[in-house]
Amino acid sequence: MPDLLESTDPSRGDRALEGPLVRAPLSLVNGARIANKSESLEAKDSAAAELGPKTGPPVLFFDRVSRWYGPVIGVNGVTLELRSGITGLVGHNGSGKSTLMRLAAGHLRPDLGAVLVEGRQAWTAEAKRHVGYCPELDTYYEEMSGRRFIQCMARLSGFSRAEARSRGDEVLELVGMADRAQRPLAGYSKGMRQRIKLAQALIHDPKLLLLDEPLSGIDPIGRRESIQLFHKLAGRGKCLLISSHELEELEKLTDHVAIMAAGRIAAVGPLTQIRDLLDDHPLSIRVASDQNKVLATALLDCDDVVGLDRLPDDALLVRARNPRRFFQRLTELVISEHLEISHLESLDESTHDVLGYLLGGKS
Amino acid sequence: MTGSRAFFYLILLSWQRQARAHLMLWIAGGLLAFAAFLVLANTWNGRWNMSYWRVPGGGGVTYGDQIRAFAMARDLPLAGSAASVTQLAWSTQRLVVDDASGFFVFSNRIVFFLFTTFLMPLWTLSFATEGLGREREAGNLVWVLSRPLSRPAIYLAKFLAAVPWCLALNMGGFALLCVLAGWPGILALAIYWPAVLMGTLALASLFHFLGAFARRASVVAILYAFFLETIAGNLPGHLKRLSISFYTRCLMFEQAHEFGIQPERPSIYLPVSGSFAVTVLATVSIVLLVAGAWIFARKEYLELT
Repeated sequence: MPDLLESTDPSRGDRALEGPLVRAPLSLVNGARIANKSESLEAKDSAAAELGPKTGPPVLFFDRVSRWYGPVIGVNGVTLELRSGITGLVGHNGSGKSTLMRLAAGHLRPDLGAVLVEGRQAWTAEAKRHVGYCPELDTYYEEMSGRRFIQCMARLSGFSRAEARSRGDEVLELVGMADRAQRPLAGYSKGMRQRIKLAQALIHDPKLLLLDEPLSGIDPIGRRESIQLFHKLAGRGKCLLISSHELEELEKLTDHVAIMAAGRIAAVGPLTQIRDLLDDHPLSIRVASDQNKVLATALLDCDDVVGLDRLPDDALLVRARNPRRFFQRLTELVISEHLEISHLESLDESTHDVLGYLLGGKS
Repeated sequence: MTGSRAFFYLILLSWQRQARAHLMLWIAGGLLAFAAFLVLANTWNGRWNMSYWRVPGGGGVTYGDQIRAFAMARDLPLAGSAASVTQLAWSTQRLVVDDASGFFVFSNRIVFFLFTTFLMPLWTLSFATEGLGREREAGNLVWVLSRPLSRPAIYLAKFLAAVPWCLALNMGGFALLCVLAGWPGILALAIYWPAVLMGTLALASLFHFLGAFARRASVVAILYAFFLETIAGNLPGHLKRLSISFYTRCLMFEQAHEFGIQPERPSIYLPVSGSFAVTVLATVSIVLLVAGAWIFARKEYLELT
């Protein structure tokens, strides 16, 4: 029986991949880049990055992709290249993660730009041969057993009945569902359903795995096993894009993340670099109080304030590094100087807000 | 090879899953049972003739009464030629009303009115909207769309999976009703089955199209079947030309022309020729299938998230 992780798609038969499989280094070729509103919104493709060895075409390539839902923009000028390895995709609800996933899975088409999987438009059947998609959606053919569902997915991928059976058994073993796969899907727990979802994404041995919240609902042991599996797959040269709300969860998987905010890739690269940049990068804040002069004097004494301007409406425009520390200091000032703040607004909200939220507890 | 293997498997899988359309199946089965009961009751009571029809309609005597009157007149001691005329009138009317009118009555009451404008659209939609519509509503269409199958192939496979069910229900249901009616029904089956086949394919194409593009496709299809097929299809004027059952019936009229079957008032019904009806039904089937596949290839299902 061929090793599932080494066998190829049905169009090429059940041949094993030629040559030894080498774990691709997950290095960030272009380095981590972080962009605030004033920078990134001007340069549409500012957050481009490549993961994995920079040889051959990328497995997944977003080329200045924009996608609207009527008047609302879901993804805004995203350029992203992924090769082998694991990339975490993190961001607020509504930040565009799922839209990005669905564009890559070929369920949505970009309004502008192109999404390519192995050089083919993601929308096409040829591209889907290389994609394993694990959606967040939790509906199955409920009347079927887990095993039958997986075999169906294998047959819909073009495998013969015998191949579907053997591959189905392999992936079920891989996701730890071999002994429970006979039961109807309708009776599965959330964790079991997640594993089945993962199994169907793996059944045709795709090069690109798009996993939307794959660990949600899985028990701790299952999580550990799944994380090991993801690492194993990445080590086999697969490209995994894993979305999650939780950065902590993703950190166990990979150091490389793409952070989405307001439909843009706000930052992409190693998490440590993103954190360092965030702390060093000045944040623009508009603040007004009943005693602006006192406030300005006090703020100029703060180490984290790198610039201060008076706006036409008498409010202050403060440029500060390390937002968390700055806001902590501002709070202290308000209390000690008995200031009444009438206006406080972060002008780099789209980026810093989400990054601050996501990374705040980690530095 | 792998593509065609996946395509044929999708047909098989969809065909199997169609059987799980419990609610619609129960509704279709219930309607079939009701219609079968109606036909059987008429057969048992010998109602497949015009003897109980009143002339003039409403308060007149029945054809049966007329025959009985002629029978009584036949027994009167009439002179030679008068007796012959009475005998001729009795036997002619009996032949027409009692023996030959069964096919006409069955066609009018069951085939044209109940089956073509009501049962056939409803039975067809119960399967044809399910192929894509139900999976879309349930959210599990995502699994098929994620497989390496082209969108037109998915659309076509789902259609091909639904057609056997639609044909089985329509042709099988029609055959059952015909057989239960006795000889008028068996004659109707022999004459009308091509029209039922053509009508079923056209309706299946239409409802499959609706299933792919309309939210709550079953509801939309039921509304369509009720308003356009059942109501508008029976109205005078040109509006009924939008209904598939109109062309099905026109084809039936032509096929049964030699048996004297025609619309009650042709000048109001404005039938089209059989060849035109066949052309329309075939064109609707093909155009909707091709257009559906083309649009489905570009359609995004935002609800599948």
